[in-house]
Amino acid sequence: MNVRLESLSFGYPGGAQALRQVSLEVASGSWLALVGENGAGKTTLAKVICGLLRPDTGRVWVGDWNAQEHSAAQLARRITYVFQNPDDQLFQRTVQAEVSFGPRNLGLPPSEIEERLIQTLEVLQLEGLRSRHPYDLTPTQRKFVALAAADAMRAPLMILDEPTTGLDGPALRLLDGYLARKRQEGRTLIAISHDMDFVAEQFERVVVMAEGKVLADAPAAQVFGAADLLAASHLEAPQLVRLAERLRWPTRPLTVEAFVADLATRRMAEARR
Amino acid sequence: MIELDGVTFTYAGEATPALQQLDLRIGAGELWAVLGPTGAGKSTLCSLLAGFIPHFYRGSLRGKVRVAGIDVPGSSLGEMSEHVGSVFQNPFNQVTGARYTVREEIGFGLENLGVPRPAMLERIERSLALTGLSELAERSPYALSGGQQQRLAIASILALRPKLMILDEPTSQLDPAGTGQVFTLLRDLVSAGETTVVVAEQRLEWVARAADRCLVLQSGTKAAEGTPSDVLSSPEAEGWGLCQSRFSRAARAAVAQGVTPLGRQLPHTLDQAVEYFR
Amino acid sequence: MGLLLAVAFAVPWWACYLTLGLLVLPLAALGRLFGPLTRTLWKLVLPFAVPILLIQGFFWGEGEVLFTLGPLSFYRLGLIFAAASIGRIAMLGGCFLLLSMTTRIDMLMRALVERGLPNQALYLVVTTLQLVPRFEAQAHRIQDAQRARGLETEGSIARRARALVPLIGPLLLASLMDVEERALALEARGFSRRGPRTSLVTLRDTPLQRWLRLALWLLAATLILYRLVSWITR
Repeated sequence: MNVRLESLSFGYPGGAQALRQVSLEVASGSWLALVGENGAGKTTLAKVICGLLRPDTGRVWVGDWNAQEHSAAQLARRITYVFQNPDDQLFQRTVQAEVSFGPRNLGLPPSEIEERLIQTLEVLQLEGLRSRHPYDLTPTQRKFVALAAADAMRAPLMILDEPTTGLDGPALRLLDGYLARKRQEGRTLIAISHDMDFVAEQFERVVVMAEGKVLADAPAAQVFGAADLLAASHLEAPQLVRLAERLRWPTRPLTVEAFVADLATRRMAEARR
Repeated sequence: MIELDGVTFTYAGEATPALQQLDLRIGAGELWAVLGPTGAGKSTLCSLLAGFIPHFYRGSLRGKVRVAGIDVPGSSLGEMSEHVGSVFQNPFNQVTGARYTVREEIGFGLENLGVPRPAMLERIERSLALTGLSELAERSPYALSGGQQQRLAIASILALRPKLMILDEPTSQLDPAGTGQVFTLLRDLVSAGETTVVVAEQRLEWVARAADRCLVLQSGTKAAEGTPSDVLSSPEAEGWGLCQSRFSRAARAAVAQGVTPLGRQLPHTLDQAVEYFR
Repeated sequence: MGLLLAVAFAVPWWACYLTLGLLVLPLAALGRLFGPLTRTLWKLVLPFAVPILLIQGFFWGEGEVLFTLGPLSFYRLGLIFAAASIGRIAMLGGCFLLLSMTTRIDMLMRALVERGLPNQALYLVVTTLQLVPRFEAQAHRIQDAQRARGLETEGSIARRARALVPLIGPLLLASLMDVEERALALEARGFSRRGPRTSLVTLRDTPLQRWLRLALWLLAATLILYRLVSWITR
């Protein structure tokens, strides 16, 4: 599912201009990270794409649909938005009911709903918690239940809002595994995140926003290597990039593997001299 | 400052204890970080040190708990709040809502404690200065960013001159800028001798920079204790469910691939990593 | 409260307009609230004023007729009665608006606490006022999350009403979960401590204010007594 944004502008009533002429194209199956400090307009943009907010000017195309001609609920067939705070999203009495809520709204037959339920719970290691009340679970488990509930919609486009906040070590690994599967399934994914290390590792393309405008739309390596861009948007580079800078390397490795590979290359080059 | 001996606590209605046979000694004037995955008992420990266990949360508590010279089980919430300050995860929920400006918000606790007005004014100014909120003194607490609200929570607690401050994952809902503000503030406070700090956290890069000592919890028991470098470089560290910084992960990978020699202490901060990989 | 109502009805109706014109509006202008006050007052009074005027004017039934509109006659006495009622409403409304727009609610509550209202009442009133907009924002967030999972909220009134049902659970639960953390945060600030409390803000009670209060009490008592007496001796 590709997405096209044409010159979107949006201002909250009685308040700031949250989006100024934002244009963006996301090809089907591609991944994108949306970064920027608080108030830059990231969440507003995501909500406009999903139809939760209507832009003042400009258009949103989700596939062949003009988003303004459809309600947010209809658009949910094509896009799911996972909120940052799972407690804003959970309202059923059991995990099972929660995860099946979306598919039921889609009008799917019970057998299909059950099958999706089983599969989604398994991927996120929530099978044993099927009949538990979401609020009895730990915050990490609730976050995954919210993710599962959105996942069960099987929408071709997913928007994740701060997927890594509050997760501990094992949970982050679980998330990595989940994302790998989404990549395999060919889902289009947009993630909003403050976690630059996460962004560097998972996303080839980074869109930097500040004050409602798109400051940059480029490959991750380029974005994280541009010091003035990061300064202008009040972002810090990922840990490994900062390290490479301090070590005065010409490269900017984005993952642990890339870093070690660069290190190995340099060591060998030094050894030869 | 803190003495725990054989502490075991089980929440009412639960089968397994949240803390088991925990022994702990924390001296005054230090910044301790409590590490561990979700469910390890970090929040339970924080609640215990603040007196919320057993005076707010019910359950069975065994063992000796002395905090700031007070026997916690024998005390009361009111008394504990005069010596121990608590800061929680959600900055928004800590704004009382009963006051209209930052300045008055800080004064809320002082009013409750019956501090005379001249002393109140002085303490509020001091709190504002220490937390860098002086310019925001006349703003509504609800008009602040998350990081600023957390600093306000800290300022409000600081004004009560607690001997000990307990913070339960204070930066988990904050962005990197806010996280940096909070950690820098905590480090400055302890270094200036204002208070002792115990903070439960997941962000290891900051913990390694700011903490004097660490405690690692696993399923309610102590798994390790020591300086951040010692604890985080321990060979068992990978099994503890912590979110290791990329620095140490890169170092472990480099050692595993034979690119760097074994046996050197792993880096956890940027400075340590620069030294390590030079 | 009761006193104010009594005064409103004790005073001859034209005095209401006088009060409005000579006291309330100038005070509002003094506090730079003229615009907001008149706008809100207008919105408050109009829904009452128009029906009262029409009904009393056209259906009074006796006395001098001012003009006719087809089969309907508009009576002078009706107009006067309507003017009286509207005047009282406008005066009451104006006074309340002036009070609420010029007084910080927490100051008002503090003054009441000093006169014996329990401390918890202060907290309850002020926090509720500040939290209602947050509650609203939370409700919006929850509904957005539900819409993003296919819950239809737009369309017919019936559909929009049905969409409110799944909102109740999470809203209440979220509030309850918050309540625990809020309670602990308050405990950490000594909220339940027993012992004397002090106040950061001092409410200065000048002699002038005390005299004014006394004078107002006397005036109100006189007016009410006068009315009662004249009513009894009719």
